[in-house]
Amino acid sequence: MARSIPLEPSEHLQLMIAGYVLGDLDADEAIEFEQLLTADPAIAAEVAQMQNALEMSYAPAEVKPPSHLRSAIMAAQATETNPWRSSRPAVTRSVRRFPWNQALGAAAAVVIAALAINNYQLRQVLQASQTETPSETLTYVLQTETVEDASATVVVNPVTLEATLTVRNLPPLPPGQVYVLWTVLEQGAPFTVDDKSAILTEVLNVDAQGNAFQTLTVPKVYRFEELVSRVAITVEDATAPQRHEGAPVMITSL
Amino acid sequence: MFLAQLKMIARSHNSHRIALAPSKPTFLICVMHSEQSGSTEESLSSQTDAELYLSLRAGRAEALGVLYDRHAGLVYGLAFKVLGNPQEAEDLTQDIFLNLVRSSAYDPKRGSLRTFLAILTRSRAIDRVRSRNTALSFWGRWKSGNSQETDSNTPLEYVFQGERSEEVRIALAQLSESQQQILKMAYYDGFSQSEIAERLEIPLGTVKARARRGLLKLRQTLTNYME
Repeated sequence: MARSIPLEPSEHLQLMIAGYVLGDLDADEAIEFEQLLTADPAIAAEVAQMQNALEMSYAPAEVKPPSHLRSAIMAAQATETNPWRSSRPAVTRSVRRFPWNQALGAAAAVVIAALAINNYQLRQVLQASQTETPSETLTYVLQTETVEDASATVVVNPVTLEATLTVRNLPPLPPGQVYVLWTVLEQGAPFTVDDKSAILTEVLNVDAQGNAFQTLTVPKVYRFEELVSRVAITVEDATAPQRHEGAPVMITSL
Repeated sequence: MFLAQLKMIARSHNSHRIALAPSKPTFLICVMHSEQSGSTEESLSSQTDAELYLSLRAGRAEALGVLYDRHAGLVYGLAFKVLGNPQEAEDLTQDIFLNLVRSSAYDPKRGSLRTFLAILTRSRAIDRVRSRNTALSFWGRWKSGNSQETDSNTPLEYVFQGERSEEVRIALAQLSESQQQILKMAYYDGFSQSEIAERLEIPLGTVKARARRGLLKLRQTLTNYME
């Protein structure tokens, strides 16, 4: 092992840095490395260089992820670490008086701002060859307590009303049944809804592994984010999914 | 303090950071997205990876955003290269970062976060490829999604070699076969040093020494090509 061989301090330090970058310091070395770093903060720059050498040699070039991914991850983290928020959404909503004027005003302002931003982004997209999804998106993370490991995310562009739906680990259904995505609106929202205040948004095509990735066009209500109360998935009769007879198997927790 | 001293590491990683869109006021319906998150993340941005990781483990959710901004390009790039599919790469990237919140597998005193993330990402991506019905579909996607020259019979660990610069190839050629093999097993395959020692039937100390000397040699040879 490296430490058993007498080394000049500089080489010993360099090997220690290599060990840190490779992630293989043992407990004693970790303590020693901590002391070395404390004694000479400039070592940190050498750590970065060593890391760079490793990645130049063994890692592919970095790729910028789509901008909506960051939001989706932060939202998923929030729902994971704050179960109270997801388990008791109805309470917070029931005591809230809906600020129609503010909401509609804000929504209108937001739409105007979004159109301006979108226009700017479109110009940028034209100038740059790199294609990317708009950064102004709505991300709905659906949760479930009944299906282990299942997840569903809907990312909506409220300007174009285009959306992507990603579903994982939903159990495949027997013939005659389908999963259906619903948009549930706030009470009194000026849109045509069924008796559960919902709009049938999409019938899901889940594969044998329980996964789905679909692009879809969502109702105009998504242009007014405050009017969307929930997004949910239910199991319905394949011949008449619009009856909306199933209870949610997955639902957002706004 | 150890963590404080590591701040320079974080700063030195600017070249790795991804210029993501700033968190503007948007439509984002995101539980985390509050007006305060931007300023909070700003105050976190001067912290080291190790400090941020410990903050995250202590419940400071905003730390994840800063770590994501620093390392998402590496994670997503690796995931995309192996999986060859943007949606699957997004899915894996999300899993990797959420795993940071859930798991305590990373020890910030013993190694860098970037290496931990890279090994974990590659390992999980390879698992996903292998779990697909046939290896053929992977190579089909790989070839259709990338213009790089790849042989359909190329072993997985050689996938990235076509992208290496001439300088890196020369630097790698100066390593012994054993050093190259050990570095590949550690960084590509995610084997621990003790697993490598067992598989190669050589002492653990030898594995460590060869890996470190191999990396140091790369660092020294590539000095002129690094900023």
